[in-house]
Amino acid sequence: MNIRKQFLSASAAAGALTMLLLASPAGAQTRRVEKNFKVDGKPVVILHNPSGRIHVKAWDRNEVVIVGQYTGSRLLVETEQADNRVEVVTRVAGPPSPSSPADLRADFEITVPTEAELQVRTDSGSVTVESVHGDMSFDTVAADLALQDVEGYLVIKSVGGSLVCTRCAGRLDATSISGSFQLLQPLLHHVRLQTSSGNILFDGSFLSRGIYVMRNYSGTIEVRFSNQDSFDVRATSLYGLVINQAPLVPDAHGTPAPPPGMARSLVGSVNQGLARVELSSFNGTIKISKRE
Amino acid sequence: MHCQHFEEMLAQQPDGPLPLAAADHLDTCLRCRLLREDLQAIGIAAREWGREEPTPPPRVWAAIQIQLQAEGLIAEPSPHGRGLYLQPAANRGWFAGWLTAAPRLELAGAYLLLLLIAAGLAGYRTSLPANPLDRPSAAISAPALDGLGPALDGNMQRVVASFSEYDGSVARSLRRNLGIVDNLIAVCEKSVREHPGDPLAREYLYGAYQQKADLLAVAMDRSTLEIK
Repeated sequence: MNIRKQFLSASAAAGALTMLLLASPAGAQTRRVEKNFKVDGKPVVILHNPSGRIHVKAWDRNEVVIVGQYTGSRLLVETEQADNRVEVVTRVAGPPSPSSPADLRADFEITVPTEAELQVRTDSGSVTVESVHGDMSFDTVAADLALQDVEGYLVIKSVGGSLVCTRCAGRLDATSISGSFQLLQPLLHHVRLQTSSGNILFDGSFLSRGIYVMRNYSGTIEVRFSNQDSFDVRATSLYGLVINQAPLVPDAHGTPAPPPGMARSLVGSVNQGLARVELSSFNGTIKISKRE
Repeated sequence: MHCQHFEEMLAQQPDGPLPLAAADHLDTCLRCRLLREDLQAIGIAAREWGREEPTPPPRVWAAIQIQLQAEGLIAEPSPHGRGLYLQPAANRGWFAGWLTAAPRLELAGAYLLLLLIAAGLAGYRTSLPANPLDRPSAAISAPALDGLGPALDGNMQRVVASFSEYDGSVARSLRRNLGIVDNLIAVCEKSVREHPGDPLAREYLYGAYQQKADLLAVAMDRSTLEIK
């Protein structure tokens, strides 16, 4: 029995080694590119990278540092600086041809001044941005976004990628088809989220004068409030449910009641109703929950 | 013939028969083929739509204008009225001016086409008589709209198919999301048929079409046509 086990282990090890060798052809060495750009004030950093992991972080220096790693022999990383504009573009050389995902993938570590503006376009992989306080836009197909401690006007267009925004401040406009949105401890005064089949979670305070519009077709929209929050709310689900834990009083600001129809609707105010919250879904569930 | 020459030729005679060289070019260039098909579809839609619904709601024009401005295809509203003013087309018809806006013409065409569809839906409903029962639910499939959906789907499929040579994960994501949006449109259409008087149901259907337009734009933007 032991001999058989040893044989099986040896076979497995040999198989794994073979797979490893097959998966690492001689030409698939990792290439590395590093570029430094001196900038002044608030630069704009533009990155087009079809696939891979992108990590952007901030520092106090007036310098943009781009570090890229990739294995595809046909990948080209092109950079350009024009005054305060820094562009990084990943391209595939030659005509399109069947490629493995690894051939198209480039990973980037980017360090930018805190006030830098970002424009990122990617298709798959992931994007993480930390502590950048400039406006930023993201255009993705399937890449997931994680934004942390960022501040500015944030614009996100995604097809299937999701967003997790932790302690984001400023203004956020995000649209997706199947991606989900999670806003954790937000400090956003203007939020507009739309997804078709994704879920939306807003777990944080509604700032006074803030406007929060969240909309989906299916899935769940959940907003969590505290007793100190002050907002007007209008929640409508055409075919789904509206579940409310908020101590609503009739809206004192003259917001008209929804017209009679088939939708489940709820209109009212919490405290003075300083912020405005609009939640709508086609057949999803809307939850207005009290934060634990 | 190069793409630029083809576009110039198309600008001169958008509806005319193609010269032999242009026809040969079409056989080998997917981009120009899609361009011509989009323009033909827009032309057909405009004519059919004109018969069915002469005046689209102003918000549709506003949406088209905003979108085209966002795409950088137009600058200021036309001083001559409602027509779209296109930056490079000072002394041509607006339709011809579009052609100089390549290479993102397909994109704008897709937007316009889908907005036309949405406008057809919204406008048709807007003009319904007070009693919705007087106009059956066939409004959704009014003749003006027949065939446009499949034509668009065809283009979408071809664009998405071009991804499989390049990046499978993007193609998979686009296909999956296209399925989601198509399903959404079907559900919303059903809702509008069942509740023709409900503005909310119509609004969701309009939104679903806009999502399809956005998805088509993303697909075209990412297609190998641009990578080339």
